[in-house]
Amino acid sequence: MSIVKCTHCHLEFDESVMIKEPENKELNFCCNGCQGVYHLLQDDGLDNFYDKVGKNTLSQPLAVGDDSSNFDMESFTTRYVKKTSEGFNRIDLIIEGIHCSACIWLNEKVLNDTDGIVEININFTNNKAKVVWDEDIIQLSQIIDKIRSIGYNAYPYDRSENEIKATENKKDFFLRMSIAIFASMNIMMIDVAKYTGYFTGIDPEMLRMIHMAEFIFATPVLFYSGWIFFKGAFYGLKNKIINMDFLVSAGATLTYIYSLYVLFGGVGDSYFDSVAMIITFVLVGKYLEVLGKKNAVDTMDKIRSQIPLEATLIVDGGKKVVSLDEIKIGDIIEVKMGEKASVDGEVISGISSFDESSISGESMPVSKQVGDIILSGTINTEAVIRYRACKNYANSTLNTIVELLEDSLNSKPKIEDTTNEMSKYFSIMILSLALFTFFGWYIYEGSFENSLIIGISVIVIACPCALALATPIASLIGISWLSKEGLLFKEAKFIETFAKIDAIVFDKTGTITSGKLTVKSVPLSLTLEELNILYTLSDSSTHPVSAAMKSYLETNYENLKSLELEKIEQIPSLGVQATYKNNIVYGGRLENNIEYKTTIYHFTINDKLLATFELEDKLREDAKETIEYFKKQKIKTILCSGDNQYTVANIAKEIQCDHFNAKMSPINKADYINSLKESGKTVVMVGDGINDSLALSRADISIAMGNGADIAIAVSDIVILNDKLSGISKSFYISKRTFRFIKQNLMISLIYNIVTIPIAMAGFIIPLVAALSMSLSSLLVVGNSLRIDKKKQEK
Amino acid sequence: MNSILWVELVIGIIVSFTLLGIFIWGAKQGQFDDGKKMMNGLLNDSTEDLQDAIKKDEKVKELKANKRAKLQKS
Repeated sequence: MSIVKCTHCHLEFDESVMIKEPENKELNFCCNGCQGVYHLLQDDGLDNFYDKVGKNTLSQPLAVGDDSSNFDMESFTTRYVKKTSEGFNRIDLIIEGIHCSACIWLNEKVLNDTDGIVEININFTNNKAKVVWDEDIIQLSQIIDKIRSIGYNAYPYDRSENEIKATENKKDFFLRMSIAIFASMNIMMIDVAKYTGYFTGIDPEMLRMIHMAEFIFATPVLFYSGWIFFKGAFYGLKNKIINMDFLVSAGATLTYIYSLYVLFGGVGDSYFDSVAMIITFVLVGKYLEVLGKKNAVDTMDKIRSQIPLEATLIVDGGKKVVSLDEIKIGDIIEVKMGEKASVDGEVISGISSFDESSISGESMPVSKQVGDIILSGTINTEAVIRYRACKNYANSTLNTIVELLEDSLNSKPKIEDTTNEMSKYFSIMILSLALFTFFGWYIYEGSFENSLIIGISVIVIACPCALALATPIASLIGISWLSKEGLLFKEAKFIETFAKIDAIVFDKTGTITSGKLTVKSVPLSLTLEELNILYTLSDSSTHPVSAAMKSYLETNYENLKSLELEKIEQIPSLGVQATYKNNIVYGGRLENNIEYKTTIYHFTINDKLLATFELEDKLREDAKETIEYFKKQKIKTILCSGDNQYTVANIAKEIQCDHFNAKMSPINKADYINSLKESGKTVVMVGDGINDSLALSRADISIAMGNGADIAIAVSDIVILNDKLSGISKSFYISKRTFRFIKQNLMISLIYNIVTIPIAMAGFIIPLVAALSMSLSSLLVVGNSLRIDKKKQEK
Repeated sequence: MNSILWVELVIGIIVSFTLLGIFIWGAKQGQFDDGKKMMNGLLNDSTEDLQDAIKKDEKVKELKANKRAKLQKS
């Protein structure tokens, strides 16, 4: 059987499972959703969407069960819909399912072509959308239906003060940084003429002209782009702290004043280029910090948009929809299939299964009946159930996790990077030396002008070019090597932290194991007809066990076909029952088999047991090697899981990790990470699910597997795009090597300064020497960094 | 010779600051708020997309005019 691509989403599947169309044999669809969206786009003349998609793959269209009429309810409108000054309605949404720019184009195009939509703007970076519409022409539910019809989904979110502030801050920094980069680039071009002139000789009038041009470009950099440093220095001094901002602004201003003196009357060389470069380098670093903060706000909005808006209360035998804050302890709540539990509580009627993956990380739904506890945020996957609230919304599991996550993201503790620490002491030292030189020369010689020039020359010769380049250039080479290996580091500073780790904590399901069930034991022999019945039964349910059974049968048996089963019925928490030729056929768990510690699937016809299958979650191929690698590096390896003691112990034994913890809730995991950190360890957490998000956000370094939940990826520092565990050991090797080169670079720049600063203090520095030595130190640092990936081939 | 260079310098600076001004205007309008979308726009926008943008502007103008008229009536 050959592998073919789905005509809509471009994902690859076996040809036998594809949906074909009799009238056009070239079309292949992996599901009804893809088929529907494909024809809708063809009918609306939007088929050039596929040109824009190119070679990208899309996710399969999202099948959304809940009713969009909720979006027109008054409680919803009051909370999320705002009025614009022109009298239109406005809402902020998060669009789910966006993969590439073609997805943005399609959503914007479809909505722009819809009557009544005034504005639609989807942000590609964070998938947030602003929609403005005329309620006299179109309802919000119709807009949501339109988005859903093309295979995407939309959630509302509250555009908080935090987001407005973060967006404005980002815009402000972007402008300041752009102007600084623009001016610095111009100054560097002009510098070519200036420095060439030192070697070939230059007319003084021409040199003045060059200084004048540099002055014009450097002035906005210092006073507009660099304004934030003056502000930071002012607030620092107000609180009696000499901070980095003070040193940057003092160094740049002194150099600027000296250069002004040279330009308007004095002799010597101006250093407007240094002024612009110092401000630009530091500002780029600050901008990255601002971007990080904005990402944290976007992540929180995504998480909050997943929280249910309302709950259905049972009051005096009737139903009443209330907002979550109105739920009191003791209230009776009804949860339908597909809905999320809003608060924690105890089941009082009904039997169903709940998907607890957001809490425990396990993909298998858990059976719930009278007396069992339901946790908020878990999804009802089968039948209607009623439960009594035992906590209010504020104290429920989901809200507690969200609030803890928000705190962690806003104040994520990171190891202060060495370069920053070094620059701080370095700057204080240089400033003191410059002052010492100035006073020394003034006392010795008595000439204020000459003392000032020599004093400032100490600052200029110690231009932090080499120091500023030491880390970024090595990190850049390390990061580009990492990205070629499919390892995405969100910020360069994680290289340093990762190189220093003491303990690595792995989640089990989806990280150490594949997270997908596979059939382990070989069943009894079945006839072809019985196999077909079993195949049809497993195909009629979306439960992970049924899906695993279906996949097992398709792989191991040929010529299977679907039969006409009647009275197909899902038995909550157990399996699927149907009738075939007046026989009762059943696939799933039998009630009396509680002694099994693994997942079991029974197949019966008329209550006669024909086959028993045992299913297991397999270890990833490279799990053992990865654990072994870290043990060799003398790093403590720990396995943490929400699963039972028996399963976790078995896996831990198989991979031979140093320690394991079972039955851990997201909060337990996060507390465990904290306790490791408190014991002085630098901790890495590797996870993939929503349940790991909190622990990931607490760790010094967090790593998410590429196919993990969006939220886990969003809160992580490193993403293993190729989804292989060996990527983690590779990341560690590259980080360690890069960090070694960063330290070498810092040493080179320090030695350069130790040699040149005394010469400058002695008053021997002439502009030519300054220009040469500045370039030489930078070249040394760049040349050394280029050696980082020399061993790439060997590795 | 030098006076020509001075004139060129002034013109050069005026041109570059004008371009910078246009960039600042674009940034303040929010054209660079979404880095990914901007880069994709540069690569993929076609004449059809520009025509769509014009159509959209006309549609929005009409919607706004209708809304104003309706609000004035009421």
